[in-house]
Amino acid sequence: MSLLSLNNVEVAYDRVFLAIKGVSLDVEEGSMVALLGANGAGKSTTLKTISGLLAPERGAVRRGQVSFLGRDIGHLSPPQRVRMGLVHVLEGRRIFEHLTPNDNLLAAYPGHHARSSFKQLRDQAYAYFPRLAERSRSKAGYLSGGEQQMLAIARALMTEPRLIMLDEPSLGLAPVLVKEIFAIIRAINRTQKTSVLLVEQNATAALDVADHAYLIENGNIVMSGTAEVMKQNPDIQEFYLGGGERVDYHNVKHYRRRKRWLA
Amino acid sequence: MFYRLSGVYHTRYSATRQLWPIPADRWQIGAVAVLALAAPLYMSDLYLSSYLLPWLIFSAATLALTLLMGLAGQLHFGFGAVMAIGAYTSIHLARAGVPFELALLAAGLMAALIGCLFGAAALRVKGLYLVMATLAMQFLVDWVIVNVNAISGGAVATLQTPQVSYLFVPVASLTARYYLALLWAAIVTLLVLNIKRTSFGRALVAVRDKDFAAAVIGVNIFKYKLLAFFTSSFLGGVTGSILAFCFYQAVTPSQFNFDVTIQLVAMALVGGLGSVIGGFLGAGFVLLAPIVLLNLIARMTDAGWLNVSTTLMAHIPLMLYGAMIIGFLLFEPLGLAKIYDNARKYFLVWPFRHTQS
Repeated sequence: MSLLSLNNVEVAYDRVFLAIKGVSLDVEEGSMVALLGANGAGKSTTLKTISGLLAPERGAVRRGQVSFLGRDIGHLSPPQRVRMGLVHVLEGRRIFEHLTPNDNLLAAYPGHHARSSFKQLRDQAYAYFPRLAERSRSKAGYLSGGEQQMLAIARALMTEPRLIMLDEPSLGLAPVLVKEIFAIIRAINRTQKTSVLLVEQNATAALDVADHAYLIENGNIVMSGTAEVMKQNPDIQEFYLGGGERVDYHNVKHYRRRKRWLA
Repeated sequence: MFYRLSGVYHTRYSATRQLWPIPADRWQIGAVAVLALAAPLYMSDLYLSSYLLPWLIFSAATLALTLLMGLAGQLHFGFGAVMAIGAYTSIHLARAGVPFELALLAAGLMAALIGCLFGAAALRVKGLYLVMATLAMQFLVDWVIVNVNAISGGAVATLQTPQVSYLFVPVASLTARYYLALLWAAIVTLLVLNIKRTSFGRALVAVRDKDFAAAVIGVNIFKYKLLAFFTSSFLGGVTGSILAFCFYQAVTPSQFNFDVTIQLVAMALVGGLGSVIGGFLGAGFVLLAPIVLLNLIARMTDAGWLNVSTTLMAHIPLMLYGAMIIGFLLFEPLGLAKIYDNARKYFLVWPFRHTQS
């Protein structure tokens, strides 16, 4: 049985605007799954559905169910879901700017619900992100973009998650940093057996680290498969990986390839 | 269904850019306009003078406030004072023999001037700090009015409005006063509706949503914040004097005290900030809900369904009214206008349940 499964979930904003329509996906224990898609395809909405953050944006699940560890979690509040081991790293970091990185980590520590001590968890987070340890006493608002993203991930790790959901961790970062952060995410996934659900625009980087991938378009899951298979798919190569082989435009009749899953 | 977008094809830009592009909306507005214009024919004097008239005037005041709080995002907790300035300016000018039309204009200008003076605080402070600055305006203006005899004639004095005429019609009979209020409410409504779709309105929304982001795309924050205070205070000042001349027919300091300010803010919030229909719904709810509830409870006790003491009877409507405000805001945090909007959108996509991008 999979750790997280979404079954035919439909989400509407403001009661009338349908954002995702019948999304089903599974995340296995210890696996790393990427959710790819263009802007506005419904990736972030899917993550918010899982973490329970739809209400502040006036959204609601209209149909289908989200189950985690075999339990339907549709009625649980976001903090309850975090306690079950489901944590969401929001797009755009959202760290607590006026606290130091150390206090940011402390804020996420679940206290007496935790299995390990704060010091253990903090040292582990700093082991993954040595740069944070160097800057642990300055204000988090003064950290660079990459360091803030690292802090956001480290903060999520403090809740001892079974599944960590990352919304665009590469947003606005230099390619070198993207590579570094993805390597760390992979390491967390490997060593701790934490499952990862990764939402990314940067399909190349995501498919390099993920085991499995889903492609979402216009609120529908249109393709899924292992990362290797997805990488080989000519449509994925053309629309998300950029190019593939070069096309000789002199001989080409249809110079714009159709997305063939769009009828 | 009658209320839908399908089958509505606009073939000219002017048609798509009109105020109400959906025919059903236009019919609604037309029906409401006819009902409002014919109100003196079918309504008793009591209902006209004590329900419809104040509703119209307070709707205009709410619209003026919502222009500032909802559209420009500048919190204002001194709007009662703005209306007081307008009322006192116009009444003194009218008593000095200045034509009423000019007195109204002067009322608006005076309110706008003093409103801008305090609004200048908005250039430095935001949010709760701006609330404090405008609260200071409320108390300062109240104090000055009460304590300067030349203005109010004393703390408990009442100034009767003199006999005036507007566009050669004497503002004395109930019908004349009603039509003047209706005219003003219509003017303010059209003005705010149109401000929302001009560059001025867009600049105000930009300043509200993120003022420094507005600044980096070339919107002069200084200018637009002051203009928002100016426009809103002008409308508020004129509404204040319309309130004095058409409804109370007298001016006392207590008509414009802090309670009125809070009521106006409540109207804007319950109706839905920044919404025109919300201004009318909010003002109607805050003004009329307690009266309707009181009548309902009184009728129930008369019929013997409810056996309560008279003191409790006076409190029940207020308790229900408070519960209703909380209930409505829990049901829809964006106010009555949003409830209306949801219903409207539901019919627009009927028989389907959702719209898609």
